[in-house]
Amino acid sequence: MIQIQTDRDQKLTRRLKLHLAMSVREIFDAIALEQNRPVAMRPFDALFMNFAEAPDDILPAKPVKKVGLYCMTVPEEIVYAAGALPVRLCAGSADAAEAGEALFPDVSCPMVKSAAGFTRTGALPFYRQCDLVVIPATCDWKVKLGDILSRHVPVLMLNVPKHKTTETARLFWYDEIRRLCRALEKLTQTRITRARLRASISLIHAAQAEFRRFQDLRADDLCLISGRDAAEVANAWFYMDAASWTGHVRRLNEELHKRKQSGLGVIPKSAPRVLLTGSPVIFPNWKIPSLIENSGGALVCDELCSSGRLLWDMACVDEPLFDDMLDALADRSLMPCTCPVFTDANDRRVKLLRMIRDYRVEGVVHHVLKGCHPYDMELRPLEAELAAAGVSQLKIETDYSPEDTEPLRTRIEAFIETLKGRRLKSGGSF
Amino acid sequence: MRIDRIRLVVQALFFIFLIYGGILGFSIGNAVPTMACIYAEDRGGSCFLYPFQRFMSLPWSTLLAATIVPFLIYLGTFFLWGVVFGKAFCGWICPLGFLQDLLTKARHLLGIDGARFRWASRERFQWVKYALLALLILIPMGIGSSLAGLPKLSGDWAVPFCQICPGKPLLPLFSGDISHLIIDFSSPVKLAMSGLLMGLTGLFLVGGFVKRRWFCLYCPMAALLSLFDRIGLIGLKKKGDTCTRCGNCYRACPMEIREIADIRDRKHMVTQDCMLCMRCIEVCPENKALSATFLGFPVFTASADGFLKRHGGQPPLTQEDLPHDTDSNGS
Ligand code: SF4
Ligand code: SF4
Ligand code: SF4
Ligand code: SF4
Ligand code: SF4
Repeated sequence: MIQIQTDRDQKLTRRLKLHLAMSVREIFDAIALEQNRPVAMRPFDALFMNFAEAPDDILPAKPVKKVGLYCMTVPEEIVYAAGALPVRLCAGSADAAEAGEALFPDVSCPMVKSAAGFTRTGALPFYRQCDLVVIPATCDWKVKLGDILSRHVPVLMLNVPKHKTTETARLFWYDEIRRLCRALEKLTQTRITRARLRASISLIHAAQAEFRRFQDLRADDLCLISGRDAAEVANAWFYMDAASWTGHVRRLNEELHKRKQSGLGVIPKSAPRVLLTGSPVIFPNWKIPSLIENSGGALVCDELCSSGRLLWDMACVDEPLFDDMLDALADRSLMPCTCPVFTDANDRRVKLLRMIRDYRVEGVVHHVLKGCHPYDMELRPLEAELAAAGVSQLKIETDYSPEDTEPLRTRIEAFIETLKGRRLKSGGSF
Repeated sequence: MRIDRIRLVVQALFFIFLIYGGILGFSIGNAVPTMACIYAEDRGGSCFLYPFQRFMSLPWSTLLAATIVPFLIYLGTFFLWGVVFGKAFCGWICPLGFLQDLLTKARHLLGIDGARFRWASRERFQWVKYALLALLILIPMGIGSSLAGLPKLSGDWAVPFCQICPGKPLLPLFSGDISHLIIDFSSPVKLAMSGLLMGLTGLFLVGGFVKRRWFCLYCPMAALLSLFDRIGLIGLKKKGDTCTRCGNCYRACPMEIREIADIRDRKHMVTQDCMLCMRCIEVCPENKALSATFLGFPVFTASADGFLKRHGGQPPLTQEDLPHDTDSNGS
């Protein structure tokens, strides 16, 4: 796919690279001033610094095919089983969103604009180096994203059944997953065998085991890691290969475990415990987690497809046979997914209430990206249900640009103060 | 240790006991609610259904007078078995259940993918076991007394379910007795029934090979044991507020019970086809979402750690460690 870049395009690309590097450096300059940060965060920092310093080195230097993915509904196990490296392309850059703006109507969400911006400009090379980009047709913007990206990269659209509780939906999805298998086999010229599937399920299980351990540590009364760092760890999964990510998180977990034993938290216990849910929070858009914590809150958990939800649901191997394992992967990526593009909102409500209990959450922040209709649509009934359960909530509607930071700060600070007031009233101590 | 492997061992031990126990003189009676076939010579206990059908074929006057005491003792024993073990008979003890699980195991070893019911077909066949149960009561009654003014049935109809039960030809084979693998031409009824039996036995073997526990969906013993689903000492409980409806339990359930995954607002989960095999618990990745209870106390509970441990094995450390050998993947 050869593209003739016009002068204007080249200028756009240069500007995007520059601005991206600036925002990345800004983030890490601020992080450098923080004390008490776990040392094991370093590999993750190094990865994200590469967005500014060495965009070519973001992905592991491996002579394998790269398969770009959007959303959480594509089982990465299958990509690994085909001998390729999955790269999650969901993007969070305000500058890239600007570069992609012209391709979408104003009302679309910044995520697709940003992803299209990166692909169009190639400012992050891997957006163009993917040998195949798999886009599940989840929300309306994703449905059309493929058309836009296919000018630059080969795209495979996956049909996602939205009313997933029916038998037809399941069988349909099983077939789609098989279609994906065949496409990947063709791409890598590697047969996805039973043994390879089983091994890649183990590979992901190992990551999931560390991820669950990480989440357990976050549930501790001591706030062992900031919510922003947790987002960083999860976002790193997008770009690292599974085994090295697992290794880094294992070391981080060990450090956090030691800190737990010596009683060393990163946020004082007086900080109200906050849960973040809604539209994805993707590097470098860590605006909301940072604001919550800079305003005196502790972001102890999140229900986001970019972090807390990412590696939670595990596929079970029942019969160690090809069909059954493939169905298991199809199930695990579809059935428990709480994304609001699906008709049933109950699963998400149950999940949130469980997290509120398990992580002893005092306030919930709903994050809605402007133009992210699925989360917006689901918000009203969800808010009412959580309110009925006595949960304090704050709704934030924003995009990737830093322009609204100050008004947001004011609102979040007020929210945190309310939470503190509530804790005082209910006899809690600081 | 995985429950499905422990279960296979327990089933094997019970199989040996129930098929050969008699050689050493063991017997746990003749009211055992499981397919420990009466036709197996050396059995260590025998199937409830045979004597039950015999009792049912007695004329009312005999059943309710002369044999009332043995009949009540017999029913009482059955009741005790049912309350204490309930459906665990099906999951852990039944020789026919075990044979079907062996067929599944063989299929795994051969690397052949199995089949599943469509939801609609499975629902369509759920009444069969109740119909068989009703018939195995009504037909014998029709031998002993005349029902609704009809003429009495001939003795050829005796123990009608045993005449079509795959246990009859299959289980005696293990004591070297092949005499029940026949088509009986002695009367039209016997001819029809034994012909049917040979057909069903073939279906039992083929069905059990392609589809886990194919026969159990139609088994009248399961219908009987369902009486104890709610009152049995062994329970299966769900905690809906931690369930993600991931569907693992449904996919792994040998009886393909959808409710186990889909229902969130009910606690009690021993449904009509459940055989208390506990497979659903061991594949559930959510802490406490499912648990098996005895007398109301949890004895085995789902957990993420347990899930991961059971899926064990040292995971490959890098992508290059993924195996490169080729095997058949059936696609
Ligand atoms: S789910 Fe929301 S954030 Fe994600 S692509 Fe769709 S609209 Fe954008
Ligand atoms: S033939 Fe079947 S029903 Fe009759 S005794 Fe044997 S196992 Fe039981
Ligand atoms: S349902 Fe299956 S396991 Fe239970 S008694 Fe019948 S054949 Fe045996
Ligand atoms: S396996 Fe557990 S979490 Fe998944 S649907 Fe079943 S009970 Fe729910
Ligand atoms: S519901 Fe659970 S215990 Fe019952 S048959 Fe299915 S897997 Fe076994």
